Amino acid sequence: MPDPILEIDHLSHEFAGGNGIHDINFQVYAGEFILLAGPNGSGKTTLIRHLNALEHPSSGGIRLYGRPVTANLMLTRKTIGMVFQDADTQIVGDTVAEEVAFGLENLNTPRAQIREKVDQTLSRINLSHLKDRNPATLSGGEKRRLAIAGILVMDPEIIVLDEPFANLDYPSSRHLVETICRLNRDGQTIIVATHDVEEVITLASRLLILDDQGHLVRDGFPAELLGCLDRFGIREPCFSRMGYTAPPWQT
Amino acid sequence: MADLTLFSFNAGTTALHDLDVRVKTGLVCMLSMTLFFAGFFACLICFLALYPLIRSQGLTLLHLILRLKGFLLLLIIMAAARAVTVPGEPVFSILDVEITRQGLAQGTLVAARFFLVMVIGMLFAVTTRPADLKSAAQWFLAPVPFIPEKRVGLMISLFLRFFPLILAQAGQTADAVNARCGSFRKNPVRRIRSLTLPLLKKTVMAADHLSLAMTARCYSENRTDPAFNPGGKERIFLIAGAGLCLGMVLLSRESVRMIFW
Repeated sequence: MPDPILEIDHLSHEFAGGNGIHDINFQVYAGEFILLAGPNGSGKTTLIRHLNALEHPSSGGIRLYGRPVTANLMLTRKTIGMVFQDADTQIVGDTVAEEVAFGLENLNTPRAQIREKVDQTLSRINLSHLKDRNPATLSGGEKRRLAIAGILVMDPEIIVLDEPFANLDYPSSRHLVETICRLNRDGQTIIVATHDVEEVITLASRLLILDDQGHLVRDGFPAELLGCLDRFGIREPCFSRMGYTAPPWQT
Repeated sequence: MADLTLFSFNAGTTALHDLDVRVKTGLVCMLSMTLFFAGFFACLICFLALYPLIRSQGLTLLHLILRLKGFLLLLIIMAAARAVTVPGEPVFSILDVEITRQGLAQGTLVAARFFLVMVIGMLFAVTTRPADLKSAAQWFLAPVPFIPEKRVGLMISLFLRFFPLILAQAGQTADAVNARCGSFRKNPVRRIRSLTLPLLKKTVMAADHLSLAMTARCYSENRTDPAFNPGGKERIFLIAGAGLCLGMVLLSRESVRMIFW
């Protein structure tokens, strides 16, 4: 087995009012599509914010290519791209192209290279036609794809998406699933944190389940864990509930 | 130009749109300062010089008056205040309040100057992308010691980006309060409190999320410098602007003498 990109080692984060996450252990390998599922308040967001050192653990740690994620924050954040739940509060550019360029400008990339990479990334995410649009005028799904483009342009090894399907209608969710699926097929490692696994469970190569106390209670193949989802407060997908085999959701 | 609002950028391909934002900012400053001591005739010349630019944005004088009507009302009040407070030769009196010729002249002149400054500002806002404004601020502040120009530039950009968002959130909060009969409360303090506290909480949370999102994308002050895209007519505009300012100063020698000597 190849070396993992990311190793989460006995990670705990305690909050004063309780909850938090406790003794989390898992590894992330290149090319994986990991679905991190759990009910509201289970600590999914807290956990993924530790992955690129936006939060500091109470105990335990995370290693990126064998080195603590805090050793080189710039490298960590460039390697692990984070797409937050609310796209509106993370878009800083006046136009779609400027928004995508933000990360590269932070890395002090030469302007000519920024233009080239922005064009490539917009084309990859199918947003080229919206290049000069004000992000505020985009639909929810387009904003979510723009947020992914803003991360993708920085060439991350892993893209982490926090509740990417929240507040999206069916066509937008479909587009987003197609985008995520295509990225993963191209070799991108994906981690999706969600409380509703319906949209992507058939695409994921691995399912991690957090219970409502912030413990990692299951780590395995999605098909093998479908039956126990309800027990941990996560809705079992319709096809599984009705006894069907799993077709890819987006087809 | 039906959607044109006072301070919003309207995409276009006019000469003003193509003009380098640094030149545009310089011209706005130069003209605004010149208007400070411009006389009537100089104001008229300035307006005539600006009119083709106003027309190039698809506006007529009537459009302009209609769009600036709120502001014009303020100017009329300001002119009226001058008319009754400046001593001089009385023209007529209402309820023992004398309106003087000098007061009327000064009031009208000040109103004309403010009107022109507003028109210049509107032309600037309508033809300048907020991102260019940020770049210009950063460029102008770069030589000033002890001022972190990149941070200031980002602050301007974030303010322009989030101000409409905060206004939208205020509208949503007000709707939510009114949906639960908040508008029937008589106590204004309670009404303000029920609007401002949730809005403040939302705004602070949005700022927190934004800060995390920026940190996650490696935000640093050592960023790539902004790019400027000169349209090629900068020299013509600079010469024309300087000529106009010089002409206005020459036509307003009396005012200049009064202010400086």
